[in-house]
Amino acid sequence: MKEKKREGVLDILKKVLFVDILKGLSVTLKYNVSRSVTVRYPDEEKWIPYQRFRGAHTLNRDEEGRELCVACELCVKACPTGCITVVPQEDDTGRGIADRVPKIWKVDLVRCLFCGYCEDACPTTAVRLGRDYELACFNRTDAVRDRERLLRPQEVPEGFEGGMVVSARFERTKEGIRVKPDIWKPRDKDWWKKV
Amino acid sequence: MEKVLLKNLGREGAHTVDSYLSGGGYEALRKALGMEPEDIIQMVKDSGLRGRGGAGFPTGLKWSFIPKDAPEKYLCCNADEGEPGTFKDRGIMEYDPHLLLEGMAIASYAIGAHKAYIYIRGEFLFAARRLQEAILEAYEKGFLGENILGTGFSLDIYVHRGFGAYICGEETALLESIEGYRGQPRKKPPFPALSGLYGKPTVINNVETLACLPAIVNRGAEWFASIGPEKSPGPKIFGVSGHVERPGLYELPMGTPLREIVYEHAGGIREGRRLKAVIPGGVSAPLLTESELHTPMDFDSLAKIGSMLGSGGVIVMDETTCMVKTAYIIMRFFSHESCGKCTPCREGTTWLKKIVERIEHGRGVPGDVELLESLCDNIFGRTFCPLGDGAVMALRGVLKNFREEFQYHIEHKRCMV
Amino acid sequence: MTTGLVTLKINGREVTVREGTLILDAAKEAGFDIPTFCYQANLSGLGSCRMCLVEIEGQRKLQPSCITPVMPDMNVFTETDTVKMTRSAMLEFLLSNHPLDCPVCDKGGECELQDLVYKHGPRKGRFAEDKVRHHDKDYILSPVIVKNANRCVQCMRCVRVCKEVVGRGVLGAVGRGVHQEETSFLRTRLDCDHCGMCIEVCPVGSFMRLPYRYRARPWDLVSARSVCGYCATGCRLTLERRGDTVVRAIANPEDGFNRKLLCARGRFGYDVMNSEERIKTPLVKERDGSFRPVSWDRALELMKEAILRAGPERAAGVASATLTNEELYLFQKFMRKVVGTANMDSTSRWSAESSLKFMEAAGIRGGGTSVYQCAESDVVVVLGGQLSEENPVTDYILRYINGARRNTLVIASPRGMKLDSSAQLSVRTVPATTGAFIAALLKALVEKKEVSMEGMEAVKGLTVEELSGVCGVNADDIRWIAARLLTAGSVGVLAGTDMLRYDDGAEELALLVRLLENTVRDVRVLPLLDRANQRGAWDMGVHPYLEPGYRPAQRRGHDVHGIVELADSGGLGFLYLLGEDVLGLYPDRAGVERALSRVGFLVVQDSFMTGSAPMANLVLPMAMYGEKHGTMTNQEGRVQRMEAVRRPEGEVRTPLETIGRAGNLIEKDFPVVRPGDVWKEIQKQVPGYGEVRGMEAFKGASADQVAELKPSFSYAVPERAEGEFWLLTGNHLFHGARLSQHSGILRELLGGCVVEIGSTAAQRLGVGEGDMVEVEARGYRERLPVRIREGTPDGVAFMPENFDGKDANRFFDKDRVVSTVRIRPYKKQGE
Repeated sequence: MKEKKREGVLDILKKVLFVDILKGLSVTLKYNVSRSVTVRYPDEEKWIPYQRFRGAHTLNRDEEGRELCVACELCVKACPTGCITVVPQEDDTGRGIADRVPKIWKVDLVRCLFCGYCEDACPTTAVRLGRDYELACFNRTDAVRDRERLLRPQEVPEGFEGGMVVSARFERTKEGIRVKPDIWKPRDKDWWKKV
Repeated sequence: MEKVLLKNLGREGAHTVDSYLSGGGYEALRKALGMEPEDIIQMVKDSGLRGRGGAGFPTGLKWSFIPKDAPEKYLCCNADEGEPGTFKDRGIMEYDPHLLLEGMAIASYAIGAHKAYIYIRGEFLFAARRLQEAILEAYEKGFLGENILGTGFSLDIYVHRGFGAYICGEETALLESIEGYRGQPRKKPPFPALSGLYGKPTVINNVETLACLPAIVNRGAEWFASIGPEKSPGPKIFGVSGHVERPGLYELPMGTPLREIVYEHAGGIREGRRLKAVIPGGVSAPLLTESELHTPMDFDSLAKIGSMLGSGGVIVMDETTCMVKTAYIIMRFFSHESCGKCTPCREGTTWLKKIVERIEHGRGVPGDVELLESLCDNIFGRTFCPLGDGAVMALRGVLKNFREEFQYHIEHKRCMV
Repeated sequence: MTTGLVTLKINGREVTVREGTLILDAAKEAGFDIPTFCYQANLSGLGSCRMCLVEIEGQRKLQPSCITPVMPDMNVFTETDTVKMTRSAMLEFLLSNHPLDCPVCDKGGECELQDLVYKHGPRKGRFAEDKVRHHDKDYILSPVIVKNANRCVQCMRCVRVCKEVVGRGVLGAVGRGVHQEETSFLRTRLDCDHCGMCIEVCPVGSFMRLPYRYRARPWDLVSARSVCGYCATGCRLTLERRGDTVVRAIANPEDGFNRKLLCARGRFGYDVMNSEERIKTPLVKERDGSFRPVSWDRALELMKEAILRAGPERAAGVASATLTNEELYLFQKFMRKVVGTANMDSTSRWSAESSLKFMEAAGIRGGGTSVYQCAESDVVVVLGGQLSEENPVTDYILRYINGARRNTLVIASPRGMKLDSSAQLSVRTVPATTGAFIAALLKALVEKKEVSMEGMEAVKGLTVEELSGVCGVNADDIRWIAARLLTAGSVGVLAGTDMLRYDDGAEELALLVRLLENTVRDVRVLPLLDRANQRGAWDMGVHPYLEPGYRPAQRRGHDVHGIVELADSGGLGFLYLLGEDVLGLYPDRAGVERALSRVGFLVVQDSFMTGSAPMANLVLPMAMYGEKHGTMTNQEGRVQRMEAVRRPEGEVRTPLETIGRAGNLIEKDFPVVRPGDVWKEIQKQVPGYGEVRGMEAFKGASADQVAELKPSFSYAVPERAEGEFWLLTGNHLFHGARLSQHSGILRELLGGCVVEIGSTAAQRLGVGEGDMVEVEARGYRERLPVRIREGTPDGVAFMPENFDGKDANRFFDKDRVVSTVRIRPYKKQGE
């Protein structure tokens, strides 16, 4: 009974002296003066995933710029969701490493579950799951990426280690909005440690 | 020992029919034509003559497989002498072509063939011309053609030049080649004795085998059987080549020890060096070392120690010889001569060659010798014809005796010697 | 020939097989599968790949089971460690120089090397050397064959199949050892049958289809079992599509009597289905002569009006003998029940009378005769026709069986053919004198052996020499054939379409068969027909005189000649041409053109704008083989079921649906049906079909006699002026009927019409292969390139009847048995 009374007194004292508010405010104030952990995406910064990340597909070329894809359709066979379409054709102009090259190579990213089986199946390491994760689109058909698009050099090169936040620029182009990273300006290499 | 096969070797003008006749030539044919064919076959059987081409199959027995009542039969003389280290038949064909022709006439009469072919190695142009000349002479004198020596027996002999393929020394490939097809072995059975050239019964004999026949007919089976060991009697030509003082052809009784051939007849190792290895009978015969020199050179004795008499082409190598290089040269030969018909020989010999080549050129890696041995196991006994087996036996012979040289080559990237 | 039985043990299991069986087959019987590469059923044994080596007790070495026959009490082991190690070793050797470019290779996914390595192969590659490369780029051997020698496993199947089955022998091996390459001479373009057998037998991707190159992977393909529609050999083939495009036709060795065999038409003619030239919607002719697309409802309404307007007496129909049994049955039912007429036919080339005679003589109304049984007879006689061109697969079957069994093959035909090289005796008859030839044969038989038989009395008065003068065959040759026939234990006769075309020889053939049945144990007659379902068309009663199952018709109608005459006189109000191009094929072009223009309402239903189609008032699109279900009856009497590989595109409909709906419009109780319903009706209504079950079965016999055959024994050489040529027509090796001209692949093999003459004639005219000549008759001139055929005598010319615009029937004179043409070299102006 006595205990209860003392608690009541303490409570009143706390309320009078704004202890809880000060406690709460101290957290706020502490963050006010500490370094920020917010990734200022998309305006200034962008998270570059690690190398093993599985994002949107890319098609690779060899050192001489020839397409590595030989249109063997093994990725199509391996794909559990059937999101890849490959139609081969003959082309011995040196476009690809063999005279069999894809006429059509497209992937429907809406259906894709980014399992990476296509990578595993590829005998020439032509198809890789890259580090592009900005896949939002207004239209389902926009999620289908074709050969020309996939053959473009990746924004983040294969050899770049990743796992860091780099500075980036938000751009509006004819093709839509995009966040262009500058991988040579890392903002925060140890982002995870701060969390 | 009196020479029977090589008596005219090196003698000027010995290849003409007159010279041959003056030495009692074609007497055996005259005698044979007076005998019954069965008696000749029996005589050859009694003599114990075994095929001189390499396999050592009893000649008389081979003849007796020919069906008596077949209307058309052929005799083929295998003069496709292509194995490195072998040059015995060439000596006979160039200096004593009539001896071969007489032997062929006797054999044809014995088996009842009226057409005979000499399948001669394409490179032996000189020998082929001499044979052709000799055949024309024999026709002129009535030893060939219609109604030979008035006995009613007729025989035509054709010289068929090959085009430089070792495989055509294999009897069925030889038949294919004569027929105009690719020189690749046929499946056996049916054996040529039943279905050979153009599907007719055919006997295929080596030049030296046929050249023995006149002597057998002239002097009798007992005389022939008395020379050399009981199981493989008769005179044999040994072609000695390599690092000896006097390389050449030597006609000696079967069973002459290898040491006697190398040191007594061929004059020993050149420049007084030490002997390292001897291939006793053409490159497909596994080589022998110093410790095995006492072996008598006959079919059975050599087979007992895991080698073979083969064609009797003795290749002597002294201590300066790199055995890896030897193996490479042998394998290069076999992979080049593999006809391409069966998988293990076609792919296997080429693979072996490539590995040995790598070792020889200092690009060997540890494990290569084991790989070679494993590939040898995979090839041996699985090929269509004996060519692949020959390649494996030769390589195994080198590996068995000189394994450390291969290891040294792999480790130090250079020759041991 | 008696063959005993041999009992042996395989892996301890006892099996009893026929003497001479290979260990390989015996093992299969015992349930053990032995892997092979160079072994191919029906080809000579080679024993070179060494995959099939087995252990035999008492034998030092492993033995190849594909060339070693079984011996009594043999003890064979196929699954020992040595054998397994050997298989792995052989695969390792094969892989050592195999490029392993499976992702690029068209064979990837259905490759025998892949399969065997997966099953028996080493799990690790030890080959670290450079591989042998014959060339960097695949090279083209023919418009349909592309070659990659690097992938070759040297099994020689291609070389052997080309020589032993196809009879061309244009492939061989060049080089030795690892440098051996199976290819054409100097890798040049092949001049061959382009049948693609080399592709089909190739275990790896060394020979590949050029049209299929990089089109799909095997697992992409949806397949259906169909029947080839290009000739009456009736080969079973599997059509495969990717998406909606049919990309290839293959012969499945496990399926169908033809096993792996197909000819160029069957294997590469599938692309007609994909053609852009196809009719896609119903078209109605406007007043100005142009065509306007209409809906099916409107089209069928127009058809109904025309039928009702014309009435039964003034209506007729001709259906193509390439349709299915179901379609043909429904067609005749429609004509008889709905339209009410018997004016119908299944051909535009011969008369109903000659077909009746042929049916009787060739045993068409009877049960089936297997081509294998026929080909395995001691003496095989090929009479008339152009077997090698019209029925190429029958030619292949005859050739390889003849090669293996060495039986006697005799050919009597007016024109040289490829099979001549396999024949013991090949004689050239004057066109349309098959009857005289058989009569001479009968006389020669009677000379050798006294036969008293009904109908033979008249033969006694003939002389072989006189008849040989008519048919142009040496009397000694005829006597030689007769001698062979008398000593044979069994005789197979293959009767070609010449008997139908020229109404010639059927009576004599029937007499010959009766005679041989008296002297020889076993006689089989196999009709050789050029339209895929000609036999089925007759069975189904698409005939003016016969109802289904060869029942004589209650009321006889007009055959194609009668229909054309009726039309010409203006007496035809409605004519339905179902898949048949009468204008292009009827043996009097000018006459039929006039007749068709006088038809009240002409309906043409076809897949393409045929020659007749532009004259039609209504053109209907038609589904073709591969787009419909149904059954076909081939020349042997083998009833085969076919499946659709895809649905017809757009407005294209099957004839079954068209006829059903049209019939239903006119008569309410005529049902719109599915193929299965019609098949059930056929089984009930058509004798011989009741017992047919499954995918493939021989039909039974129907008992009615259709014609009385009494040879007249009066013969004459068809007239021909000095220097002129008798003109023969028919299918070309690369083309069947009018359909194949729309196949792009086949057009590459033979783009247009040619005229074929013998080498002596070419010499006389001073022309060489490919030179242009002018063919002229009846005021028509046509400039055509020359093809030279060895073995064709002077005075005989051949033109394929397959090409629109170069119609051979322009040269035909309806009043003559065999029309003649003049051929002269054509020189360009200024030369």
